[in-house]
Amino acid sequence: MIDTSRYVGQKLGGVINRFMADEYRLSDIDATRFAGRKLGGVINKLLDDSPSKDLGIKMVTPFTLVLVALLGLAAVVGAYRLVFGIGAASNLNDLWPWGLWIGFDVLGGVAMAAGAFLIAAAVYILNWKKYKCIARASILNAFFGYLLAAISITLDIGRSFVIWHPLVMWQINSVMFIVALHLVLYLTTLGTESSPMVFEKLGWHRALHFVSRIMVGAVMFGVALSLLHQSSLGANYLIVPEKLSPLWYSHLLPYHFLVSAVMLGLAIVSFETLLTGKVFNHEPPREVVEGLARGVLIIGAVYLVMKIVHLVTGPGIGAALDGSFLANLYLIEMTVGVILPLALLSRRSVRTNLERIFVVDIMVILGVLMNRMDIGVFGVSEYATRSGGDYFPSYMEFTLTAGMIAFAILGFKFCAKYLPLFPESHQ
Amino acid sequence: MAISRRGFLKGVAGSGGLLLVSGVPLAQARMSTELPPQAVGLLYDATLCIGCKSCMVNCKAQNSVPGGALYKKGMKAPPYDSKGPKGYEGIWDAPQELTGKTLSIIKVYKNGTAEKKDTAINGYSFFKQQCLHCISPACVSVCPAGAFRKDPVNGSVYYLAERCIGCRYCQLACPFGVPRYEWDSAWPEVRKCQLCRHRYADGKYAACAEFCPTGATIFGKVVDLRNEARYRLTLKPGTEYDFPLKTVDSEEKSRRPVAGYVDGVYGLAEAGGTQNIMLSGVSFELLGFRKRIPHFDLPSLTWAYIKKVLWVFAGVFVGGTSLYAFTHRQEKEAGHD
Amino acid sequence: MSTSDALDSICRSLGGISRRDFLKFCSVMAVGMGLPLSAGARIAGAVANPRRPPVIWLSFQECTGCVESLLRSNHPSLEHLILDLISLDYSETLSAAAGRQAEEAKAKSIQENKGKFVLVVDGAIPTRDNGIYCKVAGRTALDILNETAPHAAAIVAMGSCASWGGVAASGPNPTGAKGVPEIVANRTVVTIPGCPPNPYNLLSTILYYVSFNKLPELDPQGRPKFAFSRLIHENCERRPHFDAGRFAEQFGDGLHRKGGCLYKLGCKGPETYANCPTVLFGDTGAGTWPVGVGHPCFGCAEKGVGFSTPLHQLATLKELTPPVFFGEAFPNKPGVSPGIKTFAAGTAGVVVGVAGGAMLTGLGAKKGSGLDHPHGQDEKDARDKEE
Repeated sequence: MIDTSRYVGQKLGGVINRFMADEYRLSDIDATRFAGRKLGGVINKLLDDSPSKDLGIKMVTPFTLVLVALLGLAAVVGAYRLVFGIGAASNLNDLWPWGLWIGFDVLGGVAMAAGAFLIAAAVYILNWKKYKCIARASILNAFFGYLLAAISITLDIGRSFVIWHPLVMWQINSVMFIVALHLVLYLTTLGTESSPMVFEKLGWHRALHFVSRIMVGAVMFGVALSLLHQSSLGANYLIVPEKLSPLWYSHLLPYHFLVSAVMLGLAIVSFETLLTGKVFNHEPPREVVEGLARGVLIIGAVYLVMKIVHLVTGPGIGAALDGSFLANLYLIEMTVGVILPLALLSRRSVRTNLERIFVVDIMVILGVLMNRMDIGVFGVSEYATRSGGDYFPSYMEFTLTAGMIAFAILGFKFCAKYLPLFPESHQ
Repeated sequence: MAISRRGFLKGVAGSGGLLLVSGVPLAQARMSTELPPQAVGLLYDATLCIGCKSCMVNCKAQNSVPGGALYKKGMKAPPYDSKGPKGYEGIWDAPQELTGKTLSIIKVYKNGTAEKKDTAINGYSFFKQQCLHCISPACVSVCPAGAFRKDPVNGSVYYLAERCIGCRYCQLACPFGVPRYEWDSAWPEVRKCQLCRHRYADGKYAACAEFCPTGATIFGKVVDLRNEARYRLTLKPGTEYDFPLKTVDSEEKSRRPVAGYVDGVYGLAEAGGTQNIMLSGVSFELLGFRKRIPHFDLPSLTWAYIKKVLWVFAGVFVGGTSLYAFTHRQEKEAGHD
Repeated sequence: MSTSDALDSICRSLGGISRRDFLKFCSVMAVGMGLPLSAGARIAGAVANPRRPPVIWLSFQECTGCVESLLRSNHPSLEHLILDLISLDYSETLSAAAGRQAEEAKAKSIQENKGKFVLVVDGAIPTRDNGIYCKVAGRTALDILNETAPHAAAIVAMGSCASWGGVAASGPNPTGAKGVPEIVANRTVVTIPGCPPNPYNLLSTILYYVSFNKLPELDPQGRPKFAFSRLIHENCERRPHFDAGRFAEQFGDGLHRKGGCLYKLGCKGPETYANCPTVLFGDTGAGTWPVGVGHPCFGCAEKGVGFSTPLHQLATLKELTPPVFFGEAFPNKPGVSPGIKTFAAGTAGVVVGVAGGAMLTGLGAKKGSGLDHPHGQDEKDARDKEE
């Protein structure tokens, strides 16, 4: 361990040293000394990490430090982009106005956060009680996913400081207006759905009671919002039939997005449940994961049928097999994301083996993210190439994306440590 | 979870009613597909164009005054794409593409030896690229903050920079690839031709039409321009015709032989019809107009989705409530009513 | 024959005038042509010993402008040309003699130099009513040309009138005026159009022929390519103004006074082939050509343009490959551009790689290992380990 007291002085260095050695925890700080009794009390309660003691989460690990470094770099890039403009920070141009940030951060980020509304609906409306134990984690997961998307899109638009314009300047013909409105409303809804954890920790029982009463309404609102903004990201591309390759373009594009988002949502919740089981000292609930796997199988089958019908009624199956560049991308996306996972999940030996389900989850995630990249960035390439356009993201774009992912992971870890995410861990 | 049944049903009924009522203004907010009453536009005849670029030079000059599409407060000279010696920047300006500083550009199509004008093989043709001012513009329909507007009277598609958030959806949506962005600005604007609408109050019209020496670009009411274009198509190539200069109803004419036109008039139905129409001696596909651009208005594709939005809310609330009631019926019976 | 013997022979044939008187006469001639006094001796020498290639210059429906143009050449100067380089055996404008003497000199020269002389023609040839609208010495231009042309080694049509009819043939062309190539259809006729052309275009052609015994490269209309292969538009010094859209709209307006392009005033530069902007006129410096002094070119050298299209009608652009500084209308590049290809291939690679890696490492996991163990097994394992 580095002795930081050599660089920053005895007192501060001593604090940092002990913090890095995990002897000094945030919960040891008495915030009432700085922020007064009331506010200090709130902060103290939030920073009490006793709920997650059994999980053995160490905040300062090499991996976390790497994530913090990435986040720092991304912050620098973000500032640079705000001061010098998008042209200076990215390789986007008039013939490629949307690139990595939209294709991965926004489309991918929102798709990855689809799990929340499904689990919330399952628990609160369908009353499938067995999924209750993963509800909080999946909602938090979605919250960070949407934050990732929201921050990325704030930085991607040219005039970041007026991103609130669509909320007051309505233009209802625009799908992006719908997306903007829904994103804000859904963040609020997710906040509402996540608040019980915080209120529980703080011991604010009246607030907790109030939120429980509106929870069902909030969940239904969240379901409607999710259905709409998952599909509206696909609807964004309805207006470019001449630009988007016929392999993907369809007037049913919003439904394709929705179904693939549901598939991805289930896979991500399963993945995240299994991953926290691996990384934290926490038992993944077997029945839940197997149930999710069955869900992925069913939705995946529906999605496959939709895509086959689209090909048959559109460009023809041959278009996907003709060996052209876009056709190959399509095949990779479908094989890795849909066909192989379905083939695997159709076998009982896979469906009942948590390690194998983990593998399938990874594949579905990769496949759907690739689908978002295909539609958001690569699908228009034949059109744009004919006009003489080209695009490869700059290193700043990659840095910001990596930083955003780091932010999501760090945020989740931080919340896992300080909020009662996993109910059985404090039983 | 204690929610009284009556209260809940009241809530559902209320929201359902609200949704249906709000559907009424929704229908009117949908974009028009009709030509505005005083719609004006340009007719560009590529066979008359000599590539002098007078239109480009004057477009920049006339749009760099207050109210113009290139105007920025405190600017001393029009914005130029190429850097030249200090004080002489304009002389070296040679844009190769539409940009955030160039609203209209003359490009050339060349093939082989490029010797014969308005010929597809071993020939060349000039081509004026600019906003076509669609009747039902995709850019207007996709802007989330309503920064692009279509004038309800003269139909020009214009831009309100103070509303723009810089999302660049308009760049993606435009089938003709027209809107351009100020990539190197910290507070960027989207730029495109606005038909010199800031000059109408003074009785003037589009600068490109006013300064075109050959009458390749003329300004006028769309109805008149369409008639003029269709008339030119009926003339036998080689016959002498008095082409109007500057405006379609101008007294000033230029007599010259009619060239052979190909592909008819562009803009009558493409993307639902445009107010700027074109004639050419080479196929429009060679000039960059894709055959896949549909012959109906693009916003109708998204409207098909948007009109379902409120129904989704209604459906989820109604369906969700019934599902909830069904799945919690045992609890209800067990617990309090 | 030596020079002095030749001189004696001439003096005898001139009716016995003294050699001195003859030299005096030649000096007077020289002064009359604006040449220095010493040129007189050279004139005498030239007359006495004509070993220079003979040139017969026929003039028909012409205004003498082409000869005037010739008179203003400086390199070669006219006296150097006709005294040292060629033997101008017949020229209606420049001959000292006139009348029958001149005609006889022509006939004699043709007779002596059959198949060796260069025939230069200026002026158009009327063809209507058997060509009676132009007669020299009682014979129609048509007859004279048809009689003389077969014996010429090379035929050069000087000026637009001789090349394609020029002003004489402008509508309604009452005399049926035609250019030399239309009359002498079976021979290659070099045409030097212009009204008048720059004299150096003619002189270069003749001296080229005299030096190399062949004609310079000609285009399909017989125009020497060194002078007529480019449009005026291609070499005009005001071209940058055309390319930037700076046009004079009226004579005397702002841009006109600043030297703007004259296209809108009807300049026919874009449809006229000639080298006026390069060689100019009169050897008096830059800008000494019509466009240079502010008047649009009217296409005097181009058949179908000069004397036929209205002066202020806008010109069309003739066969001209557009310059490279225009942006391309539609590159139409097939396939997928390299940056995107790399990006997509990289993304696909990551996806396939991670998926493949996951499959290889995770699918083989046996039931009961890793994540997949029944609830409570952890504690059981730990207790087992302790024991």
